[in-house]
Amino acid sequence: MRRSIFTAGAGAAAIAAALALAGPAQAAEGDAQLAVLHGVPGLTVDVWVNGDRTLDDFAPGTLAGPLSLPAGAYELAITASDAADASAPVIGPVTVTLAASGNYTAVANLDAAGKPTANFFTNDVSQIAAGKGKLTVRHAAAAPAVDVLAGDAAVVSNLANPAEQTLSLDPATISAAVAATGTTAPVIGPADLTVAEGTHTIVYAWGSLADNNLQLAVQTIEGLHSSPGSVPGARDGSSGTSPAGPAVVTVGFGAAALALLLGGLGVARTVAARRAGR
Amino acid sequence: MTAAALLLTACAPAIPSAPVQPPTAAATGEGTSPPAAPSPPPATPDAPQGPARREGSIPQRPATLPAVAAAVPVPASLTVAGTSIDMTVVPVGVSPDKAMEIPEAFDQAGWYRFGPAPGAAAGTAVIAGHVDTTSERAPFSQLKTLGAGASVQVGRLGAPALNYRVVSVELMAKDSFDGDSLFRRSGPHELKVVTCGGRWLQERMDYSDNVIVTAVLE
Repeated sequence: MRRSIFTAGAGAAAIAAALALAGPAQAAEGDAQLAVLHGVPGLTVDVWVNGDRTLDDFAPGTLAGPLSLPAGAYELAITASDAADASAPVIGPVTVTLAASGNYTAVANLDAAGKPTANFFTNDVSQIAAGKGKLTVRHAAAAPAVDVLAGDAAVVSNLANPAEQTLSLDPATISAAVAATGTTAPVIGPADLTVAEGTHTIVYAWGSLADNNLQLAVQTIEGLHSSPGSVPGARDGSSGTSPAGPAVVTVGFGAAALALLLGGLGVARTVAARRAGR
Repeated sequence: MTAAALLLTACAPAIPSAPVQPPTAAATGEGTSPPAAPSPPPATPDAPQGPARREGSIPQRPATLPAVAAAVPVPASLTVAGTSIDMTVVPVGVSPDKAMEIPEAFDQAGWYRFGPAPGAAAGTAVIAGHVDTTSERAPFSQLKTLGAGASVQVGRLGAPALNYRVVSVELMAKDSFDGDSLFRRSGPHELKVVTCGGRWLQERMDYSDNVIVTAVLE
């Protein structure tokens, strides 16, 4: 509910333009979003969706997408990059079910023992409280359970492949490291990791401890912010009884306020207070 | 009428849950650091090009840690021509009750640091301050009297000041506070200067409305 004190033409146009731009300029309403992360070291692949080559020469450490796909079941297969079709996959085929408006990441990675596999994660795209960021850590590496350290403190403990943990955090750039559970000697990092307000930051630990190529991959899902619930700009109502300044416009305030203005009392009080407050 | 409401001395928060808008969920952000993994070789020329293929339309990026983004210039002052508004501006966030934080000092205003900054390419930069002190009016009590074309200058730290021109002054009822429209992060860039106004509601110890001044870059 908005009552206009006045609105110049330019303002109305700007508001109309803002409304027009508010909707996401993306795929069809209700489509699911599917991102694909390649977390198998040393293996360039093709990714097939329902038998169609969807990602060609997909390299380790690369994040693709998101693809906008209608809700439904899809068959994902990963082949060598020179495969003619999806009949001889190196990973899969796996069937995944995408819900309408769902958000997912399919990850090709090593299991804890070092065997290539695929994991399918559902990404939380619910709105994040105003002023907060969200961090999810996913273990997709050939390594034992780990702790994730922010500075010196473990913020995620005993995370095993292929589990995940999610935290709500104050936005910040943290010095993040990954260590074997119960230890503080990093096997990855420390590295600067930014958790932005209104953004879901998803961090994957991938690679192989035995092969000494553990590293982090990062996916961010933006636009999940909420707005503050109010703007509390008042203390006690002393403004309402003393309209401002000599050029005051009393639109919307009426006779009582005008009478006080004529008395001049409010103006005198305010000047004195300003001097005292400086 | 709850007892808690009577204890509020500031503009009481309105309905805390803002209308839900669908998130523009997407894996975004271009890593600016070089890829740790080998770059993919160029697409082979003999790759099949069936009509059902989506290749080429699917963005790919190295999933390396993005470089820490450079800080945007933050606003430091706000002046409005023809008024006594000459405020220090400080970055603020969100209070535990989900309200935008407002500086205590009557001659300071807060800039919502999680939203766009003045001079941003898109969205609204929101600067808010008290309309009164515990006994008197504050400079922002003059906002409701601004006319179209009034000149607003925002000083910034480490960047040139920005000149805005007022295009509208509106009241938004606190009972139907539309946070997503005020704290907009996309669409045309505007400056929103906000305080309280409307009627003083003694039973709520709050004003009925927010005064919202909208200004655009000159």
